[in-house]
Amino acid sequence: MSKILKIVPERCTGCLRCELACSYMQTGEYQPAKSVIRVSPFEGHTSYAPYTCTQCAEGWCMTACPVGAITINTAGAKDVVDDLCVGCKLCTIACPYGTMFYDPATRKAFKCNLCGGAPACAEACPTAAILYEDVPTQDWLGDFAAERFERVLVGAS
Amino acid sequence: MATRHLIIGGGTAGMNAMRAIREEEAERSEITLVSAEKSYSRMVLPYYLDRSIAESHVFTATAAVLGQWGVKVHAGRRAAHLDVKANVCTLDDGAKVEYDDCLVATGSSPVRPPIPGADGPGIHSFWTLDQCRELIAQTKPGSHVAMVGAGFISFTILNSILALGAKLTIVEIAPRILPRMIDVTGAELTERWLKKHGVAIRAGAKLTRIEDARGKKRLRFAAGADILADVVVMATGIRTNLDWLKDSGITINRAVVVDDRLRSNVPNVYAAGDVAEGRELIAGQPDVHAIEPTAQEHGRVVGANMAGKDVRYRGSLLMNIVEVCHLDIASFGAWDDPKAEAVSGLRPDRPAYRKLLFTGNRLTGAIILGPSSDIWTTNDVGMLKGLVQSGVSLAHFKDHLRQNPFDIKPAFIASKTTGALLPETVLGRPSKAPGTTPVAV
Repeated sequence: MSKILKIVPERCTGCLRCELACSYMQTGEYQPAKSVIRVSPFEGHTSYAPYTCTQCAEGWCMTACPVGAITINTAGAKDVVDDLCVGCKLCTIACPYGTMFYDPATRKAFKCNLCGGAPACAEACPTAAILYEDVPTQDWLGDFAAERFERVLVGAS
Repeated sequence: MATRHLIIGGGTAGMNAMRAIREEEAERSEITLVSAEKSYSRMVLPYYLDRSIAESHVFTATAAVLGQWGVKVHAGRRAAHLDVKANVCTLDDGAKVEYDDCLVATGSSPVRPPIPGADGPGIHSFWTLDQCRELIAQTKPGSHVAMVGAGFISFTILNSILALGAKLTIVEIAPRILPRMIDVTGAELTERWLKKHGVAIRAGAKLTRIEDARGKKRLRFAAGADILADVVVMATGIRTNLDWLKDSGITINRAVVVDDRLRSNVPNVYAAGDVAEGRELIAGQPDVHAIEPTAQEHGRVVGANMAGKDVRYRGSLLMNIVEVCHLDIASFGAWDDPKAEAVSGLRPDRPAYRKLLFTGNRLTGAIILGPSSDIWTTNDVGMLKGLVQSGVSLAHFKDHLRQNPFDIKPAFIASKTTGALLPETVLGRPSKAPGTTPVAV
């Protein structure tokens, strides 16, 4: 088994350091718009949680790519090979998690590749809400979000 | 003696089947491929058309890859007859290929309306690599290109034609563009956007004749002014390549009728991709989804079954995405179901549009339009697919989505869609990487 990103949403403070670190590692820019981990607000911005690729077993992005431009890197992550990607966006509709991204500037798809085995987001997180561990991937945010969604709905009614 | 697999058609379905056979089989079998063309990816031809990739980039299974897979190839040949009793396929050069099981993956061909001049010289289709080469040779900066048909194929090459410096006019017989991909509201938004970006659109235009006009082409209509064009592209639909199977004893409805293992009524004859009428995901009814993702999944399921595994296909999901002038347009599932409960949001100034179609508490279809520079559009595209694919109950989130059809992410996460999706794989095991060769999995 290879390591994956384990998210502990209760620990997230919404500081967005993961997004800065991710975009810097992925693109060389401190530009959250180019981060492939995204911090989402819950409960009317009273809590937050980072959301990113689960490195799912099917690899819907990888199997959908018509030119084999998405492969599995040495860290076990699905990874876009820039030279092969033509930017057809088929991966963005194939991925059912919404974790494929497209950069209009490069006209290529991009995604979490676990930084090749040293994920910058996990290193940057000051509260250990993002861990890089050898555990099976799972739905880290579902319960957290469901409970907070209910609270918002109750509060709004 | 090793099992002899015959793959008829070297497109996406055939390629994926061969690869899956090699991935899944316990002992090495014989694979024979009959393919009229070299294997290439139709999906990437638009990027070759505008020269953003080299021609070599389009090929999927080169001779080297097929050699590595140990595939015997009848290149440039078509299947002409299938004898399902003797298990023999006769090719168009008279050669006979015996098989133990066989995959029909012969795909589709473009069709043109039966109007005078539509088949004349200098009128292009955009379907094959050869046709792509012809269009490249003809389209020059400043050329006026008239594209007949405003469907998916037409829209996939729209950017490329503009990128070549050509002037573009789109002609559509239906009253609006993209009639089989998005609804009227989405089409109106797209039409406004394209006109703003210099594309001329004539919807509801009945083309009656195409004439030669001193090196150009004159398009005549039942009503309205003629169009004079340097290049005419007919993107007026496709039909399945199944004529050769007539009288074979294989049951053909809209395409070859297949069961959940993608077998035809003849158990050792499979069909996949455009030529297969199989289970679709939403209602579980037989349908033909002539789209790349279905060909890919069909091909893999067939390959695994041919290799001795027992894989049932969960059903194909209709989905399309196309980007025109930096506007993303995508739809999923039963986006045009008149019985579904529709919720929509329109922000013409962005522009952005979302339409969610519910059947009970389940999202069964969706349409999404938004600027490709808007990162959230891309995220929502995938999440909508996930909601439709997983069929999770949105009972607790429907009211929220009704009021905020743009706020999909919290509902996606809180409905635990990720948890519902994670165990799902097409072949019942983790997928393998495509390898070092540019071949779809």
